[in-house]
Amino acid sequence: MFLRPGRRDAFSILCAGLFGLAMLAGSADRAQAVPSFARQTGLACEACHTVFPQLTPFGRVFKASGYTLSNTSKVQDVDRMKHYLMTLSDVPPISVMGVASTSSANKASDANSSKTSTDFPQQLSIFYAGAIADNVGGFLQVTYEGQSGGFGMDNADIRFADVATLYNHSVIYGISLNNNPTVQDLWNSTPAWGQPFLGSPTMAGPAAAARIEGAMAQAVAGVSAYAFVDQSLYGEVGVYRSALQGASVSNIGGGTPPTDVITGVAPYWRFAYEYDWGQQSLELGTFGLQAALHNPTTIAGGSFAQSLQSGPTDRFTDIGIDTQYQYIDDDNQVTATARAIRENQRLDASFAQTLSDNPSNRIDTMNATLSYFWRRKLGATIGLFNVDGSTDVTYFGSPNGKPNSSWGNVEVDYLPWLNVKLGLQYTAYTKFNGASNNYDGNGRNASDNNMIFGYVWFAY
Amino acid sequence: MKKILSISAALGLCLAATGAYAAPADLAAAADKVAKVCQNCHGPNGDSTSATFPRLNGQQAGYIAAQLKKFRDHSRNDPHAMAYMWGMASQLDDNGITGIADYLAAQKPTQPQTGGTLAAEGKAIYMNGVEAHNVPPCAACHGDHGEGMGEFPRLAGQHADYLKKQLEDFRALVRTNDIMHTNTKDMTDREIESVVSWLANE
Repeated sequence: MFLRPGRRDAFSILCAGLFGLAMLAGSADRAQAVPSFARQTGLACEACHTVFPQLTPFGRVFKASGYTLSNTSKVQDVDRMKHYLMTLSDVPPISVMGVASTSSANKASDANSSKTSTDFPQQLSIFYAGAIADNVGGFLQVTYEGQSGGFGMDNADIRFADVATLYNHSVIYGISLNNNPTVQDLWNSTPAWGQPFLGSPTMAGPAAAARIEGAMAQAVAGVSAYAFVDQSLYGEVGVYRSALQGASVSNIGGGTPPTDVITGVAPYWRFAYEYDWGQQSLELGTFGLQAALHNPTTIAGGSFAQSLQSGPTDRFTDIGIDTQYQYIDDDNQVTATARAIRENQRLDASFAQTLSDNPSNRIDTMNATLSYFWRRKLGATIGLFNVDGSTDVTYFGSPNGKPNSSWGNVEVDYLPWLNVKLGLQYTAYTKFNGASNNYDGNGRNASDNNMIFGYVWFAY
Repeated sequence: MKKILSISAALGLCLAATGAYAAPADLAAAADKVAKVCQNCHGPNGDSTSATFPRLNGQQAGYIAAQLKKFRDHSRNDPHAMAYMWGMASQLDDNGITGIADYLAAQKPTQPQTGGTLAAEGKAIYMNGVEAHNVPPCAACHGDHGEGMGEFPRLAGQHADYLKKQLEDFRALVRTNDIMHTNTKDMTDREIESVVSWLANE
């Protein structure tokens, strides 16, 4: 999520940024693991997860197979040719997940804000997660957020999947209908299921990120086809279109125009190779998407400078590379991830309206994380994050025109049971929205945003 | 409209995909079960890549069937059995178990590497036992080449880490088996490493 400043004043930019970042933090960090999968399969959490929500190699296969593996008795119906018409598990795949937290920033964001916040719940989610039919399954999440006080659509991934043997190779293939690019992915090195899994709902995170890092979550619908060969070679291609929540692309006349509406379709791709040996696995991959976005902008007089029907667009091309290493035995669980994304921004629309200084910009984001758990009970995670990019005062909104941020976090966790986690996280910034010191021109330093965050998480 | 059509097409494809009615338990049905379920962990035709999951290609049918029934009735209760196999075996009937066991037993087994600095020592233990540590010759039950017999499992070509863990678990009573506990309770770590070096394929 990044700002679109232009002619707005600093306060509105800050508010929009904080709101957007809160949404980003919420949407990207919400989902965890789902006990209804365990009920459906009869498998313990450890079969699919090291610790929620990091997937094991088997967890990746379960997901690619459409969440359909089932070991429960079923209500079934067949036709005269004895083809199944229906298979319903006698255990509804419903789960509930809750998070309560308290957090404290180094300094409050302004004179009217508190630097501490306690949220009960921070979020409360209800899932339908499990098989729908023999080869169809879904992961559907609706979330109540304490700070917004409302329910909203969260991650969704509905799949058709099957398995075939071709030339002695196992091929899991399928189609995913989902609402967040990379939510369908099998590794924890891509944005939707990447670190950090939870963060303070009031954390003033950096303004700039690549589009694929959450800005499109729950605002798009995508269909993609994939194949997973020998549980090793993975390929997926798909397209996304805008599917706004609480707004419509067909009714913008009287209200606030929707923003970031995809023109046509946004192609998405994902290719990865995983090598498993002993109790270890290593994945290397690439992913990305390209989206041309309309942004109708109100000008003096109340008419639209652009419309959703015509006019120039801002085109974003995100190209990411990622890697993940895992070592898993009964006592030790190690997961290391890293990714880098380059976003090229061709700003035909923004530049034409003097909303950017440059006709094109770029953003580079990188992160690397390492987590270790002992017997899935005690664990620690460290993460390093960096955002870099072009200089554009008007577009990025920072006094020096840079979107740059650098930060790290460390988290310790205790899981008395596999579906209950107590976590304590500290996040420290060395650079924030362009600079280390006085990054906003009003004397605020990057370290003022440092945050300590404690939470209890449960799922049932 | 295009969006509606594309989503509808995807949903239609999903809804059209209904599986064929399950055939009675036979080798064809067993092959289907192995391809769609078992191989998710145990690899194509039972030849797994991860040492967390044992190779089952060429495993003795009697051993597979006996273990599946123990998983089903929960009489085998080591941690991995509980975490993985209790659920997976819960809906299997005897015919299904027999089919899966026969199908996997008919697959080409992985050969042991019989390499490493400890392999010769391991071969001696496997063939002759270690009297001082109350270890009988493994070959007496598991065959001269580790091929197994009936309910005594094939060991040759199994993952090294898997074999090592099973011996350690028998020794520590984590995996309950009176005979194997008696045979391993005085085994040293080096003796376990040696036998595994002789039998396993990484």
